[in-house]
Parts: sequence; structure tokens; C-alpha cells
Amino acid sequence: MSDSGALSRRTCFQRIAFLLGGLALWRRVQPAQAEPAGVVETGPQTVRVMRPYDAETPVREFASYLTPNHRFFVRSHFGPPEAALIAEADWRLRVGGLIEHPLELTLKDLKQFERITITAVVQCSGNGRAFHRPKVPGVQWERGAVGNAQWTGVRLRDLLAKAGVRPAAKHVQLQGADRPVVTSVPLFTRSIPLEKAVHPDTILAYEMNGRPLPLLHGAPLRVITPGWMADSCIKWLTDITVQADEAKGYYMQTAYRVPVTAIQPNSGLPGTSMVPVEAMVLKSLIASPGNGDEVGRGPVTVQGVAWSGESAITTVELSFDEGRTWEQARLVGEDEPYAWRQWQFLWKPKAAGSASILCRATDSAGQVQPQTTAWNPSGFLWNGWDRVTVTVQA
Amino acid sequence: MMFSRMLISVIVLGVAGGAAMTGAQEEDVVAALAPRAETLILARCSVCHTPDLVAQQRLPKDRWEATVQKMRHWGAEITEEEAGLLVRFLSARYHPGAPDQLPPLDSELRKAEPLTQEPAAEGPLVGVAVRGAGIFEHNCQACHGTGATGGFGPKLAKNPILKHEDLFWETVLHGRGPMPAWGAALSHQDIADIHAWLLTK
Ligand code: HEC
Ligand code: HEC
Repeated sequence: MSDSGALSRRTCFQRIAFLLGGLALWRRVQPAQAEPAGVVETGPQTVRVMRPYDAETPVREFASYLTPNHRFFVRSHFGPPEAALIAEADWRLRVGGLIEHPLELTLKDLKQFERITITAVVQCSGNGRAFHRPKVPGVQWERGAVGNAQWTGVRLRDLLAKAGVRPAAKHVQLQGADRPVVTSVPLFTRSIPLEKAVHPDTILAYEMNGRPLPLLHGAPLRVITPGWMADSCIKWLTDITVQADEAKGYYMQTAYRVPVTAIQPNSGLPGTSMVPVEAMVLKSLIASPGNGDEVGRGPVTVQGVAWSGESAITTVELSFDEGRTWEQARLVGEDEPYAWRQWQFLWKPKAAGSASILCRATDSAGQVQPQTTAWNPSGFLWNGWDRVTVTVQA
Repeated sequence: MMFSRMLISVIVLGVAGGAAMTGAQEEDVVAALAPRAETLILARCSVCHTPDLVAQQRLPKDRWEATVQKMRHWGAEITEEEAGLLVRFLSARYHPGAPDQLPPLDSELRKAEPLTQEPAAEGPLVGVAVRGAGIFEHNCQACHGTGATGGFGPKLAKNPILKHEDLFWETVLHGRGPMPAWGAALSHQDIADIHAWLLTK
């Protein structure tokens, strides 16, 4: 059972988020309110779940290279932990398991390690789940459960080197301070293979876009595994355990897994042939114009972003005829390994009326973004062609 | 009257078994089951997450079954019978072919006649504190904390509201803001028992 004394010291934020949840409920009982349940389209984020808070970034924000912190998508399994658990004075990072010297570090201790900054895309494994057919259960993310930010922190490998990893070690388990309201719900415990943990670009970040890591994004410390989906990017990190096996429990052994080979839709869970969701897949998005926008007949700037887990983007192409022919966009802006690549295209609409713009990317590994993604039971890794439909003025 | 219509639809549905339903049949099922199902969703399913997570799904019956069983396994306080009712309601309303936009989850609930009578109609109830402890643990503790010392919801131990019984009953039966309504999920005896137990804290 959770400590009830501490419960009453919940953060102000949680209280507000909770009340917002209630407000959403309350608003629904007002007869005049005919808005679709749960989806708040305006404002900095599109809310999918009020409590625990899950919200995506409106794609128009992706016209800029870095996604601002307050717009950056939020995925919570249980919401932020009690303030007391992550207050700087009491917060500690513990490193244990198959190591020579257990560590217990304050944030200040941690900052003694070499400071590095990496720009990386962070994307929810379920981004685009809503597009899988047949439909699958889970938060119905559309296009915006992704963002590109500058992450500053220390290398996980530097900590592990100091702790001294024993030969039997194969996995690194990661645990945050967040807890479910009911203790019978499994904890969000994850692990990554040792090779990924000691990769020089895997970091523990305490800053996001040059600001202290915000509460919703895992303050004071979160894992960033560049090129991998965000199911490894544990927030509110408190415990690192080096071990011989993968983490046990629901969130590692059942959730966040995909079939190794394609399976028939709705054919049930194939069990043994499921592997953890790790690397990101090749994907691109149209940030502007937006769905439903009206555009003029003059040249229209179509722009967006493209990224691929561990490879570089080589081309981005657009189609204005449902994929029969493709025209190449221009890659622009920064070119950094784990970040997304921006692209632009000057479009001269041929006719007035409704027009669909499709977009797909190719990467240095020779992969081409597919029209649709192989169905999988939990709807992970969606990377089908992106589509925006606009009206061209007469 | 409404009750007998409800019963008939439920029985018909039971006989029809797994056969696919027509749109009209679905509507009947939804209408018949909505008051209880929506009450359960707002009271029992909202302990861990807001019901928007439920309403955004469009799933076939077997996946609803698996989801509801998963939630029970994790601690959702619903009986086998309630689970069956929820699966029937959820798969009739939030099936793969249902429109993207549906009326808000509790619209039927607000229209329906209250399923329970006012406490006064039953005469004074005598709460049993030992029973109340268990009922509190299963229904209220997640938000009001162990020993009712507070959490997401306010501290209830020694809370002045315990002395204002009318206000206490009003809040528990009909809810307030983020506090769910319990009028259709708990019996009046249950609520009286919780009240009696809270007074001992
Ligand atoms: C004891 C806590 C708890 C209760 C009570 C609860 N749920 Fe859940 N529910 C969860 C958790 C945890 C998740 C997964 C959240 C995540 O990982 O994002 C979830 C997810 C879901 C999902 C999304 C699909 C999925 O499998 O992730 C649906 C639908 C859902 N719950 C329905 C319900 C319904 C219906 C009820 C009431 C019968 C209910 N829940 C009650 C904890 C709970
Ligand atoms: C989903 C979370 C949740 C659950 C479950 C819950 N409550 Fe509450 N409750 C709240 C919140 C939040 C408030 C504060 C409401 C407000 O701010 O108006 C509250 C308020 C109350 C109040 C009024 C307190 C005051 O100071 O005015 C009472 C009484 C109460 N709850 C009793 C109960 C009982 C009895 C149960 C179980 C049958 C229960 N609650 C279950 C969240 C919950």
C-alpha cells in the first residue's frame, strides 16, 4: 500500500490535472456541449486522455526544427510522481545489480560527469495507432505523438563505467518514480540491452531545449535512447539495475512488443514470436498546409519533417495523384544524426477544389516509407504515407 | 415500464448470442444498458484513468472482453456480472463500425430515472463500521488514501462533512466535480456503512 501521509502532498500540478479531468467530465454533462468526448482541438496540445495526461502536438508545430517544451507530446502511464519523491533535496539515482560498486547519486553528483547535448526525435511507440485497420486498443494517437528536442545530460555508459559492470550483465533495467493509483497495477518497469545502454549517445537528460527538464517530461532525469522509440525513454528515473535478463513484468514482457514476422490482422497474440519495440521506423509528416486548410492558386509552400531511427534521410517525395507519380522535395535546415530532417516543396496547384497531398521518405539504408504499416495487435510503429487534404481556391 | 423494456432487450440479446446486431438492435442495447453501464464506467473505471480512454476505442466484442478482464485483474472493482454487462454495452456502442464522434459517455445516464430511491424512503439506516472499512477500501481508497487521510481526493477522516449528513449523502450519491457519483454503484446500506466507518477514523 502506498504511504498515505505522502499521498496528501501530491504536487499542485497533479491536483490541477486531476481537476481538469473532472472538469472534462463535468462539461460533458452540460447539454449545450456537443463537442466530441475528450478531444480538445485548440490550445497547445490535443488531449487524448485527461488523467493520466496523454496529449499530442498539433502537427503545424513541426514547421519548426525544435518542438517547444510546452507543446511537446506527453505520454504518461500513471502521471508525474509525488513531488516529495522527485524534490531535488531527496531525489537520488541508484545504480545497482551486476556491478562492482553500487552508486547513489544526487543531481549535483550526476552533473560532475561530462555534459553532452544531443538533438533527437522522441516518439511514442503508439504514434499513429488510430490509423491501423482493424482498429486496436490503446490511446488513439494520430500524427503528433512525436517531437524533436535538444537533450542535455550525461552518458549512461559513464555511470556504468564508474559502477563497474560485471561480465554476466546483459540488460539494464530502468525504473522511474511514477506509481499507479492502485497498487495492483503493474509498475512501468523497462529494460534495454547492455549494448544500447553503453552506446555513447544514450544519455540521462536533465535539460530539454536548454531548460531544466519539465515535470511532465520526467523531471529531474529521464533516459534518452536516440533512434529508439520512447518506450525506453523512462521519465522520473530513480533506479538503474544491471542484470542478466530483460525486466520482468507486464510493460516489458507483454506490452510494447511486436510480432517478428507479419501476422494476419486479428489473428490473436502469437506469443513467443513477439519482440520488444526498439528502433524507430522511417517516417515523414506534412506540417503545413494543415488538413482542411484553404490554399491559393499561387505557389504553396508544402513543408514538413522526416526521420529514420538509425539511418539518414536521403529523399522526401510528394504525390498529388494518390501515389501514382512522386515529386522530390528539397531537404533543408540542420542535418544531425538522430534529429529529424526538414523538407520543403513549392507546389503549384493545377486545379481548384479538393486536393490530397501524400508524402513519403527514403533513408540511407535504402528503405522506402510504405503506404501502410503491417498490422500488429497493439498498433505500434505506424509509418504509412502521410496525407493532408486541402481545398484549392478557385 | 422502462425497466421491463430493459429486461426484455437484455434477454433478447442473451438469446441472440454472438450473432451480429443491426444498427437498431445496437441502439436498443445501448439504451437499455446505458444507465448502469455508464454509472459503472464513471464510478469504477475512472479510478485509474478518465473515461475518455474508454470512449475513444472502437473494438470488437472479444477485444472488449479481454480489456475488461485485464482491468479487473489490475484492480477494477467490478463483479463478473457487471463485467458481462459492460462488455455488452461497450461492444454495442464502441464497436469498430461506430462513428468517430458519439454522444458523451453519460448522456443516457443524465436522461435516465434514478435507479435508486432517496435515502429517506428507506427510513434511517444504521451503518456498520466494520463493513464500511472494506467497502471504502474497494471504492474510495484509490482517491481518498489509506485510512481516508487524503490523496487525489480530500482527507475524509475527521472531515467536517461527516457531521453534515445531508451534504455527505448528496456528495456521495451524486458526485461533485472530479468525485464520481455512487448512487447507482453502491447501495444505501453500503454508503451508511462507509459513513459509520469514517466516523471511527
Ligand atoms: C486499477 C486501475 C484501473 C481501473 C480501475 C481501470 N483501468 Fe483501464 N487501464 C488501466 C491501465 C494501467 C491502463 C493502461 C494504461 C497505459 O499503459 O497507458 C488501462 C487502459 C485501458 C484501456 C486502453 C486499452 C489498453 O488495453 O491499454 C481501456 C479501453 C480501458 N483501460 C478500459 C477500462 C474500463 C472499461 C474500466 C472499467 C471496467 C477500466 N479500464 C478500469 C488501469 C485501470
Ligand atoms: C476518482 C477519485 C475518487 C473516488 C474513487 C472517490 N472520490 Fe470522493 N472525492 C474525490 C475528489 C477529487 C473530491 C473533491 C471534490 C471537489 O473538489 O469538489 C471528493 C470529495 C468527496 C467528499 C466531499 C469531501 C469534502 O470535503 O467536501 C466526500 C464525502 C467523498 N468524496 C466521499 C467519497 C466516498 C465515500 C467514496 C467511495 C464510495 C469516494 N469519495 C470515492 C475523488 C474521489
